[in-house]
Amino acid sequence: MDLGTGLALVGAGIAVGVAGLGTGVAQGQVGAAAVGATAEDPKMFGKGLILMVLPETIVIFGFVVAILLWISK
Amino acid sequence: MLRPEEMTRSVVVGSIDSLGVTIECLYELGVLHLIDFTAQDEEFRIGQPLREASDASQKLLKLRSMIRSLDIEKHKPVDKVPVRVIKRRIEQALVTLDLNVSSKADARQKIQTLIREKEGDIRALEPLVNLGIPVENYEGYDNIAPFIGLCKRDPSKAISSKIQESETLNEVRKGDVVVAVFVRSEDRAEAVRILSEHDFQEIKLPKLQGNPADLVGRLRGEIKDLEDDLKRVENDINSIRKQFADFIISSEEDLAIEVLMAETPLRIATSANSFVIDGWIPTSRVHEIQTALDTLCCGLAFVETIPPEEHDEPPVELKNPKAVKPFEFFMNLVSTPKYDEIDPTLILFITFPLFFGFMVGDLGFGVGLALLGAVIRFKFKEYPDAVKLGSIILAGGILASIFGLFVFAEAFGVPFHPPEANPDEYSWAAAVNIPIHPMLEKMHDIKEMLAISFVAGWLHLSLGFVFGFVNNVHHSKKHAIAKVAWFLLLLGLFEEMMFFVGEATATSGFMNSTVFAAFPDASFSFSGIEVSIAAVVLMVTGAVVLPLTEGPLVLTEIVGIFTNLVSYARLAALAIGKGGMAFAFNTMLLPLIFDSGNIAIAALAAVGLVITQLFFVFFLGSLSAGIQAIRLNYVEFFIKFFEGGGTDFSPLRYERKYSVANK
Repeated sequence: MDLGTGLALVGAGIAVGVAGLGTGVAQGQVGAAAVGATAEDPKMFGKGLILMVLPETIVIFGFVVAILLWISK
Repeated sequence: MLRPEEMTRSVVVGSIDSLGVTIECLYELGVLHLIDFTAQDEEFRIGQPLREASDASQKLLKLRSMIRSLDIEKHKPVDKVPVRVIKRRIEQALVTLDLNVSSKADARQKIQTLIREKEGDIRALEPLVNLGIPVENYEGYDNIAPFIGLCKRDPSKAISSKIQESETLNEVRKGDVVVAVFVRSEDRAEAVRILSEHDFQEIKLPKLQGNPADLVGRLRGEIKDLEDDLKRVENDINSIRKQFADFIISSEEDLAIEVLMAETPLRIATSANSFVIDGWIPTSRVHEIQTALDTLCCGLAFVETIPPEEHDEPPVELKNPKAVKPFEFFMNLVSTPKYDEIDPTLILFITFPLFFGFMVGDLGFGVGLALLGAVIRFKFKEYPDAVKLGSIILAGGILASIFGLFVFAEAFGVPFHPPEANPDEYSWAAAVNIPIHPMLEKMHDIKEMLAISFVAGWLHLSLGFVFGFVNNVHHSKKHAIAKVAWFLLLLGLFEEMMFFVGEATATSGFMNSTVFAAFPDASFSFSGIEVSIAAVVLMVTGAVVLPLTEGPLVLTEIVGIFTNLVSYARLAALAIGKGGMAFAFNTMLLPLIFDSGNIAIAALAAVGLVITQLFFVFFLGSLSAGIQAIRLNYVEFFIKFFEGGGTDFSPLRYERKYSVANK
């Protein structure tokens, strides 16, 4: 395996890892607020869930970038 | 399907004499969603409760107080009590029960209070037992300030060094120091300061006289006697509970229904001689009310349908086939659709199990989930939400099994046959030859999986825009045209994606040769990327029309459509991620089970495999697949058309669980 391929794979790892961190930080804050809102009014569960899963797209972007790097290595 | 039950605005009018019968009839039928009457004028006023309301409310109050005293809120009667039995016995039963239950409940409460007080006294006296001073001698001095309590550390040295004349008794007890400090009244402030530095907590002495040890003994004896009394009272209450619980709960239900009906006139318009009940009735059931009123009220009341006013918002009763009904659970979690909106439950019924099945895609886990769903569905019939959730899991499990069997050809993360790229991988072929080969290998056909995800995303989002168009076309042509523009933008974007990928995946090849076959092949190269001219035309058309319909700010949202489409990559990501997780555990643990040659290690590895597969792959994997499958619907799909905020159809009706109505 040459250096370029290795770096591409490291890049792919960083893309997923850091994107995952970003999602985690965002989702933690949204989740805490959503749980609070649901405790006050159980009807907020659905809306809370929607808001809570919004940041997940960030990690999906990371995944797509990782796959693009991996395919083009 | 896709549209809620059609509603008709109706008024039930009649002679005031037939009000009671009419209300009873409406509750029996359970088809009229009442619109509360508020606009009083000289002619029509808000009605008065029926005659029986006051009496029934009083009885209900008594029964509910008894239910609390007897602690039978959760009791479920075995046999249903007929209403005529309740009506015949209720007067007599209330008198007898009221006397018995309230006197016993009072006695129980008094005894419990006494026991609590005495236990409090014991807690206060116990630390003082070894100090040996009668309780009355601790307090009641003119010139001496006493401090009795607990400290975290012994304050006696600090007190004797700072205050000249003082007397301190102390004893170490369970990590605390019991102290009794006596100082002159003028030294009180200093003593308080020193004691607070030692975390002093005052003991409030009971108003008793005598040696603490004797008092504690006496109080314990008294508590024992009180507990015997309490047991006797509890026994009496238990026997009342056994004898009357069924009757009380059934009567409470019947009286609650009676009060509910008797107070309904407070929501309707009445004049001196007539009443008007305004509301919504499912169109298909208007004739039922008419027939029932004709029979019961002998022509004194009748129903009339009226044309709805412009801003009327009819209540919404979702209308879906039986198989689709459980998926209304997902709608309840968000919001009821408005009356004139499309009800997307049918699409949830199709897409949720498909997305879920694709992401889980494993015969073993699929069958496991289907069984779990079936157990929840059929074992917890008394909980409607559990039945719905069970059906949803069952549907997801079945689709996951189908995907696992025919598409991915694997069970419990182990493929039926070793993949071509890795012939040494563990597979079921070693144990049983299943003549099915995978159409897709999760871990190797990643590009194909992504392409399939994007196709699913394109179809799903396009359907969202079609629904958006249908929802808006009658209210706002402008918004409806905007949905068409979005649809074109998405089509252009997706066409470009497929064009760019070309023949690299079978899916894009298929799309290019079928759906996009009629599109011209013309293209140009931009920064090394081949751009389809047809895609550019579509996207530019969309981007030009959008600001004309929704204002220039909408241009900032155009990138969002790309985000939406890429978001469907999670279908592939979850499937690959779950496959990778199962593969990792299998690669680590299967060699230990089959090749280690040591029974103990093999057994441990087998246990480890079961636990990891169950927890990480089955439980967490299915949970995240479920959340992602519903998220794609809630976020990506719903935002294209769904507003929600409709009023649930809640007709006048009651439910009898523990009593049987008279025929």
